[in-house]
Amino acid sequence: MYQTLLTTRYLTSRVIPLIAVAAVALCVALVIVVVSVMTGFLDMVQSAGRTLMGDVIISYGISGLPHYEDLQVKLEENPNILGTTPIVDGWGLLRMPYPDSKAKQSETVQVWGIVPESFAKVTDFSDSLQWETPTENQRDWLLHDAITTNANEIQLLMSDDKWNTFVELINKASSTLNFAEANLWEDVQAIVTSEQWQSILSYDERLKSPEKLRAQGLSLSRNGKAGIISGLHVSDGNERQRDGTYKVIRNDYWWLPRFEGTLTMLPVDTQGGIIEPESIIMPFVNEFQSGVFMIDESRIFVPIATAQSLLHLDEAEIIDLDDPTMVLGIDPARATSILIRGIPGISAIELKEIVSVIYDNFRANMPTDTLVFPPSQSDPGLSINTWEDQQRSFTGPVEKERELMRTLFSIVYLVVAALILSIFWSIVFEKTRDIGILRSIGASRAGIVWIFLQYSLVIGIIGSLLGLLVGWTITKNINSIHEAMGNPPLAIAISSFAIASAVAIYTFIKGRTGMMLPIVLGSIGFITFAGIGALILFIRQIGGLVIWDASVYYFAIIPNNVDWPSAIVTVCGAILFCALGALIPSAKAADTDPVKALRHE
Amino acid sequence: MSEKPILEGINLKKTYQLARLKVPVLHGASVKIQSGDWTTILGSSGSGKSTLLHLFGGLDRPDKDGGDVLFKGDSVWSRSNRQINRYRNTDIGFVFQFYHLLPELTMFENTLLPTMLVHSKNSIKENKNRAKLLLEQFGLGHRLSHKPRELSGGERQRAAIARALVNEPAVLLADEPTGNLDEETGNEILDVLSELHSNGLTVVMVTHNEVIANRGNNVVRLRSGQIVGSATLAHSS
Ligand SMILES: Nc1ncnc2c1ncn2[C@@H]1O[C@H](COP(=O)(O)OP(=O)(O)OP(=O)(O)O)[C@@H](O)[C@H]1O
Ligand SMILES: [Mg+2]
Repeated sequence: MYQTLLTTRYLTSRVIPLIAVAAVALCVALVIVVVSVMTGFLDMVQSAGRTLMGDVIISYGISGLPHYEDLQVKLEENPNILGTTPIVDGWGLLRMPYPDSKAKQSETVQVWGIVPESFAKVTDFSDSLQWETPTENQRDWLLHDAITTNANEIQLLMSDDKWNTFVELINKASSTLNFAEANLWEDVQAIVTSEQWQSILSYDERLKSPEKLRAQGLSLSRNGKAGIISGLHVSDGNERQRDGTYKVIRNDYWWLPRFEGTLTMLPVDTQGGIIEPESIIMPFVNEFQSGVFMIDESRIFVPIATAQSLLHLDEAEIIDLDDPTMVLGIDPARATSILIRGIPGISAIELKEIVSVIYDNFRANMPTDTLVFPPSQSDPGLSINTWEDQQRSFTGPVEKERELMRTLFSIVYLVVAALILSIFWSIVFEKTRDIGILRSIGASRAGIVWIFLQYSLVIGIIGSLLGLLVGWTITKNINSIHEAMGNPPLAIAISSFAIASAVAIYTFIKGRTGMMLPIVLGSIGFITFAGIGALILFIRQIGGLVIWDASVYYFAIIPNNVDWPSAIVTVCGAILFCALGALIPSAKAADTDPVKALRHE
Repeated sequence: MSEKPILEGINLKKTYQLARLKVPVLHGASVKIQSGDWTTILGSSGSGKSTLLHLFGGLDRPDKDGGDVLFKGDSVWSRSNRQINRYRNTDIGFVFQFYHLLPELTMFENTLLPTMLVHSKNSIKENKNRAKLLLEQFGLGHRLSHKPRELSGGERQRAAIARALVNEPAVLLADEPTGNLDEETGNEILDVLSELHSNGLTVVMVTHNEVIANRGNNVVRLRSGQIVGSATLAHSS
């Protein structure tokens, strides 16, 4: 009861507790923000990996797995397996439609040949498609393209007079479309008959039924022709907006689904040598965004058959080397990997075991007349991995970063703990004489320790909860804070300078009385605010500051979810260290003889 | 004279350990304090007066085999920690040269504090009334909610005496209570002690000042940690 009185007085009659609360709050907030962003980042890498790769992956280097379709059937018979899909992957060069000149740009891309229907079952493929239906502007471009590529046929539809007005209209639109909405759709419709309109629309099915844009993406084909779906950042034409949506530069001029690209891949023979490169021209049917910058920047999807034929992994005849006319048998088509998704609730590790058993069975029960056997599991080229294992090889640097972060965090935690300990140590140490007084009038040792325990618990709890609140607020708004930092508003610079001048005037007036503290504080204030203002102007001068660079950190946005488990650990840890910091010195002081404690200055 | 003393120091020895150096301060001092007496312990600076008083007050422990303090015939230094706390709190009232009030508490709270430390035989209300009464008696009635730093040395010392008395101790121990005050203020404090003594309180006071020592009715002389004489004074007052 006297403890409560003293604790309250110690807490309320000095500034030190406020400083301690602020220090604890800042430490807790700092740790929560950093930990949340980092774990959020690693989680994003992992979950992106999972939604992109299924749960378990069987892969066999560049030569590929033969009889993969039979294996898929075997796998899908298992009730634990929800779906499987084959992949043929390899590197390729993709010739982009831009720039306008002849020397078009080529991108190195990681080509994934997929079976879109089953691929959508195993991964989040269908949700990752970027374009649902064309916007009005994109539709105008499609109309424009349809008309210009089919001009000769359209000319036959109408009289010369009409054709001239029509051409004039199109030319005018062509020159404006690059910069502004041209209203081509309505204008064309107004000058042609409905019959002519219908035949113009029929040149591109996306004009008649806009939802075909997505459908073409899902089937990876347009008008029966194999198409490409490229990652959103493969094209230089897509620009991220402030709100996270994407816009195509030059008013949709370089909207990829308008164009075709040339894909070149290098097939490799059984000895690993490179055979003649193969090329194919394919329309872009859609784009996808996985959220992982590294993938969105380099991956494209094509139908599996296309990839197989480009890489010579398709079905082929095996011929007798001595007599090329003798066909010995059929070398079956191959897939470089099979992605497997388990039923909900089954862990990737369990699934991996199941898959491994099925694979062995499958291999053991191949018909005896099989010419090409799938590799055995002892073949080092064959791997059956969970998505996490696969992820490891694919984002090795990220794992390294996680290790680094763990080490860094241990250091941050230690520093925070030491800081809190030392704050309380000095607070209690300063109270040694009070402890001597209390002891000399009969207070028990435990009673004294309890005063400071209460004291530190109050500071610890208030401080860390405040820190949690601050950390939560910062984490939730980290993207807008980052954006504001990247391009700080001029108003903040101006108000900083205003405050700096006000502080300067105040310091000058106060300073004339000869008092030191106002001069010291005033100078610090002036330098701080003037510095903030100058920094903002500098950042604006260099055109903004990007700390979170998507190309470095894989993701377009900064993770903004509070990592609650570690936030709770941090809060409890801070409270614990506050308590320890107060317990140790107060126990020590309570144990010294009252006379000795009283001598403390 | 054959009356049983209320407080008795038997062959008290105290040695301070200064790094490797042993500093013997008391060399077997024996003192008897009779109930109702105002005993003054007189000695020059460094003679071990404070040390002796601390041993009496249960604030410092004599050496091993360094004698003992008896309170009402019972050993003090063979008590448990708990009992020593109770002894410091209730049986003895201690007044320091430098007041030693808690700076964060008001005068009233400082005075009341000892009643809150150990389970009190009186109700909270009774204790509060007593604390207030004592402060009023010492002329601090208008200073109840002031903090120590807002008061003069004399006022602080009176509050310290009030604190020492709040649990109605059997003996008041005062270590140079006037040592930090001017003569006039010091005399006021001595008048307070004199009044308490005449009301029956046993007082033990340490001083190096012959004149002040003579305010008591029993003077014990201490020189280099040894009792060198004891005299009972007859007061006319
Ligand atoms: N904690 C300590 N450690 C070491 N030496 C001490 C300690 N306390 C007291 N002494 C020494 O013991 C001796 C007696 O000290 P004490 O305080 O009892 O003297 P005193 O008679 O009260 O003197 P004063 O009149 O100056 O208060 C002094 O020489 C002092 O230096
Ligand atoms: Mg002394």
